[in-house]
Amino acid sequence: MADRRYETLVLLHPDLGEPGAKELAERVKKLIEDQGGTVGQMQDWGLRELAYLIAKQRRAFYVLFEYRSSSKALLEIERNLKLMDRVLRFVSVRQAENAPPTPPRPAAARRPEREEPEFEGAAEFEGLNEEVS
Amino acid sequence: MAERERGERRGKGEGRGFRRRGMGRRKVCRFCADKTMLIDYKDSRVLGTFLSERGKIIPSRITGNCARHQRHLTLAIKRARTVALLPFTAAYP
Repeated sequence: MADRRYETLVLLHPDLGEPGAKELAERVKKLIEDQGGTVGQMQDWGLRELAYLIAKQRRAFYVLFEYRSSSKALLEIERNLKLMDRVLRFVSVRQAENAPPTPPRPAAARRPEREEPEFEGAAEFEGLNEEVS
Repeated sequence: MAERERGERRGKGEGRGFRRRGMGRRKVCRFCADKTMLIDYKDSRVLGTFLSERGKIIPSRITGNCARHQRHLTLAIKRARTVALLPFTAAYP
């Protein structure tokens, strides 16, 4: 079966601490490789603020894996991720073959910045929201 | 060209500056205008600009996105939400 290009973003429990998160990330990497995947890059985003609470946690370690594997392997990888209770959440996405690899980002925890809506009419939209609530 | 009445559905926004600057200017899809701008669920900065203050996705009627890019954008925002890069709803204290 043809291998596909996937990427999985994994959220690790903050109580693991920096070394614990690194170790678990390595385990996930090994898991992917054990399933016959080849990891292209493993990106550590560090401890980041969550947009909402997950498992009563405010932040989590984000680790991104880019790899190639069969779709069967992906299912198996996801099944195993679900079993790891220190993995808060993950999302797997199939990448286009010609998509550029994700550029590295500063690992420092960074709040997703809110920018002002720049569209005309956005104000009215907010107005509508207030009405609804 | 006649004035476009798009985005005119205000009704409820009473009091807010009626017919503001630039009404009737044609909105262009930002992703079509800038081909280097990719829609990526990991890029919460870009995606965040398409959310309202409450965390709702702003309709293309207001942002001017083309249907294709709005579709990709919506999917990306939803993915970003599942990994808490973006909120489902406004942050609570």
